[in-house]
Amino acid sequence: MLTVWGRATSSNVQAVMWCVGELGLDHVRHDLGHTHGGLDTPEFRALNPHGLIPVIRDETGGVGAAPVWETAAIVRYLAARYGRERLGDAFWPADPAARARVDMWAHWAKESVAARFTVPVFWAVVRTPAAKRDPVAIARGVRQLGRELDTVEARLAENEWLAGGHFTPADIMLGHVLYRYFDIDIARKPRPALDAYYARLQDRPAFREHVCISYESLRA
Amino acid sequence: MSETPNSDRPNSEIPNIEVWGRASSSNVQLVMWAIAEIGLGFTRHDAGFGFGMNDTPEFLAMNPNGLIPVIRDRTGGRDVLMWESAAIVRYLCASYAPEPLWPRDPAVRGPLDMWAEWAKTTFGPAFNSRIFWPAIRTPAAQIDRASLDRAIEAMKPVARMLDDRIGDGPWLAGQDFTFADILCGGMLYRYDSLDFDKAETPHLDAYYARLCQRPAYAEHVRVSYEALRAT
Repeated sequence: MLTVWGRATSSNVQAVMWCVGELGLDHVRHDLGHTHGGLDTPEFRALNPHGLIPVIRDETGGVGAAPVWETAAIVRYLAARYGRERLGDAFWPADPAARARVDMWAHWAKESVAARFTVPVFWAVVRTPAAKRDPVAIARGVRQLGRELDTVEARLAENEWLAGGHFTPADIMLGHVLYRYFDIDIARKPRPALDAYYARLQDRPAFREHVCISYESLRA
Repeated sequence: MSETPNSDRPNSEIPNIEVWGRASSSNVQLVMWAIAEIGLGFTRHDAGFGFGMNDTPEFLAMNPNGLIPVIRDRTGGRDVLMWESAAIVRYLCASYAPEPLWPRDPAVRGPLDMWAEWAKTTFGPAFNSRIFWPAIRTPAAQIDRASLDRAIEAMKPVARMLDDRIGDGPWLAGQDFTFADILCGGMLYRYDSLDFDKAETPHLDAYYARLCQRPAYAEHVRVSYEALRAT
């Protein structure tokens, strides 16, 4: 059984849960973090000394008792352990030469897109009280994010999925912030390829179940 | 869970990895250290800060983000062109490194990979972006001292975290040096050599001393950053 620790409203937990859903893995998830608390207990610190979610422990996959944290490392673990048997080789190719493209775009999406969205834009707009919002900083954040989304747009104009012709962890690392990106009150430049891609993501039940969920409880 | 091992590496052909990026870039250093640690051949082209080239159409065709490092590997009929240093290190190790440098079992690799990721997403920004860049790459008169002091305080628990994890080591995996040591250790030359108020980290200090004993680390990571210093 796979155990996941972390509240469903955490964007990092959403990336992991979406991956779990795509792979069709049996799992138990424990709400932790934000209003649920529980990050400072000795039991949780024994799982992750940094006190951050998500954390997983896979008692069937061979990790045994060893927990794994860091969203991207969890997704790589799940993809390497279960990708081929559940979704075929293209999801996380066994050949490192083929996998390189997937890993590179996945890493880029997390560091360049998700990182430029979650704190500088989403937190600034949704998790900051109206009186404390800094419209200049928000506009700057949206502009910096926009430059990365222009790269995404160019990529998706020529490829169905971020890493090429197949849905891969690169799409999880990019797509897990898109529900919020399209939902919050910010200026969005027209990007038709990104719009079409977002529509394709919404055809995926695991995306709808784990990513397209209310974030009202986070609102300041 | 199976991965292609080194079977596509003909015995007669030592891979020659083409690398674009200046030797003084910490991200290039990760890649160069991995190449040397595995024992691969390489041809490196200077690009980036002071050398330019990364804004040319030719470079942007390789990496639309215009960032170094970029590698190209044409070993044994493959043609892999890629960027993102951590992904490159994983690619090179998965392709060419023996056990235990790249553990083939995801269950062994996962608990190491998370520390490699943490180094890249937490230790790296906390030090490189918030301390090293402001201290080295900003003209003295423009340094925001209050902000730098806050970053120096914030770095202490991060360094202690890694110190606790390393413990007696000698490596992150215990007895075996792995890819995770490359991604975690690559930042420690700058961390150690830059003079600022640091947490006491005896385990981390000993770990860094062990890294310095490795010839590939001495050659490719302990590279002077004087050329980056703002004047």
